Amino acid sequence: MIATTDSQRRWRRAFVIAGAIVAGYALLAPLTSLDVAQSANIPLLADKFWFRIATYIVMFVVMASAWNIIGGITGYAAFGNVAFFGIGAYTTGMLIAKAKWPFLLALPLAPVLAASFAALIGLPLLRLRGHYFAVASLGVGVALGELVQNIDYDGRPVFGGASGLFLPIYAVGHRGLFFFYLMCGAAALAIAVTWWVLRSRFGYGLIAIRENEEAAAVLGVNTTAYKVAAFALAAALTGLAGGIFSQWNVFINQDNAFPIEYNVQMILMALLGGTGTVFGPAAGALLLQLLIQFLGGSLPISLDIPFVSSEARPIIAQVILGLLLIVVVVFVPRGAIDFFGGRTRLSLAYLRRSLRETSL
Amino acid sequence: MDAFVQLVILGLLAGGVYVAVGVGFGLVWGVLNIVNLAHGALVVVGGYITWQLFTGFGLDPFLTLPLDAAALFILGYALQRGVINRIIRAPLLFTFLLTFGVNLVIVNILLLIFGSDFRSVTPAYSGQGLELGSVVIPYVRLASLGAAILLAAGLAFLLNRTRIGLAIHAISADRDAAQLVGIDLRHAYAVTYGLGAACAGIAGGLIAMIQAITPTAGEPYTLQAFVVVILGGLGRVSATVVGGLAFGLVEAFGQSIPGSGSVFANAIAFGLMVLVLVTRPQGLMGRLH
Repeated sequence: MIATTDSQRRWRRAFVIAGAIVAGYALLAPLTSLDVAQSANIPLLADKFWFRIATYIVMFVVMASAWNIIGGITGYAAFGNVAFFGIGAYTTGMLIAKAKWPFLLALPLAPVLAASFAALIGLPLLRLRGHYFAVASLGVGVALGELVQNIDYDGRPVFGGASGLFLPIYAVGHRGLFFFYLMCGAAALAIAVTWWVLRSRFGYGLIAIRENEEAAAVLGVNTTAYKVAAFALAAALTGLAGGIFSQWNVFINQDNAFPIEYNVQMILMALLGGTGTVFGPAAGALLLQLLIQFLGGSLPISLDIPFVSSEARPIIAQVILGLLLIVVVVFVPRGAIDFFGGRTRLSLAYLRRSLRETSL
Repeated sequence: MDAFVQLVILGLLAGGVYVAVGVGFGLVWGVLNIVNLAHGALVVVGGYITWQLFTGFGLDPFLTLPLDAAALFILGYALQRGVINRIIRAPLLFTFLLTFGVNLVIVNILLLIFGSDFRSVTPAYSGQGLELGSVVIPYVRLASLGAAILLAAGLAFLLNRTRIGLAIHAISADRDAAQLVGIDLRHAYAVTYGLGAACAGIAGGLIAMIQAITPTAGEPYTLQAFVVVILGGLGRVSATVVGGLAFGLVEAFGQSIPGSGSVFANAIAFGLMVLVLVTRPQGLMGRLH
């Protein structure tokens, strides 16, 4: 353990306070949209638009935290976790749209099915290491999306096909508020599971696998069972987010249930905040998703980029995002947690040191 | 029987493109240990250079191929020397993310320059073909299969018979030992990536003659390159050639299954890849280390 100095402790305290303020605001602002608050003339802090963005951000908190369990704690670079999001979305979606199940009954099956699928493909895939595991898991994600869109039975698409799957709107007062708090519940679960994993015998086994898999096996860790369990746990949480998403969005298709870019986004969020930590992925999800929305021009505060027409703007936003990705990976390879957590200060010397460590 | 022969020919012709797309990707992965997610974007850049030279200057598309290679070698060299070299000692996930970022930048710059319209290169001879009984083989496809095989042969020659090729073999075998015997690692890495990018550029030129391209068309090529390289086995050009042709054949036969159509192309490719990875991780032609 590195001794913490006073200045480090101050930094850490500042970030904890900032995090608590953000979380408190996010959890309390929706209440101003209730009728009671409105009749008491409390200013409206959360409109429809706020709920949409906030629920998106929290959805990524769930996915980044879930990825952290297999990618950050176990050290297996899963690149196809979006498959589990899609499975969750389609499980809930199919049960509601075709089997007419009520939402709250259909939702628990999303994580169950996602975890079962992960266990099934995890047994062969988790024998692979490094690049090979990353590529194979990516392949599963891509192939699954294509299968879901194209499987026909009796000439009719089973899962809604290319035109997607429409769900009946869930009849509940304050829909935005309901789905936001539901997603927050999923995020709290994901963070609590991470917290538990990091303090359990199971988690120590996973960390041992990350650091040296052979040594872990020699020490008596059942590596196969541990890896598959971690993969299934990540899949269950991601599937839960997908299940909530399908009923919240009311419409799912290959593009919004199996988007390949989510794979990269959740990894980047975990890296940005710090892999293998409890709150890192959540912080990373908040930062990156806000940035993506800001660059895409969908936040109320937005900045005009000079010399750029409005059609070119989303493209420029993507270029900026790509450049940012490059800069983060090159200069801050250990994640922002290094200075958010108070271990070091963000300084030129830090950037130069981390550059030297990884350069050829 | 006739249909069978036709499928084999179609498969091999399609395989030619996969060989071209796969060799550069396999080189970068095998030697530098980088899974280059920007490979597809580099392919598309090559396609646009060919399109620009063909429509702008009326140059024959096959004559643009060396220019594609030269331009992308320079781009690739600069990219590796300036950016990717800086994270060579970082965990593997970082190379994934970095090359994904590069991919994002290239694709969107192409979108800014060329827009999202589909472009195709259609020289006067593009409609003509060789008639073999009931089978018609377009000359362009035949020539691109030939060009792809030539590309692979040229790359193999370069790697096995020249000084820089030996240096690339050396850094692939043991980076630190290579440095000890006086190889300039930064330069050798950049040359290797540049060669991979040059192969991607030629592949892009060939693809532009066969199908319409758009800035976002690159991603499937990256994925196909993965599958081809894994199918053949990492580390040798000849293995990638076998992998590419095998992939073309599998795809042609897979698409001929009634009811499946071409919509399952990715699913077939990745199903096959996962199967190979799990049962024979060294690839069809690979050797176990």
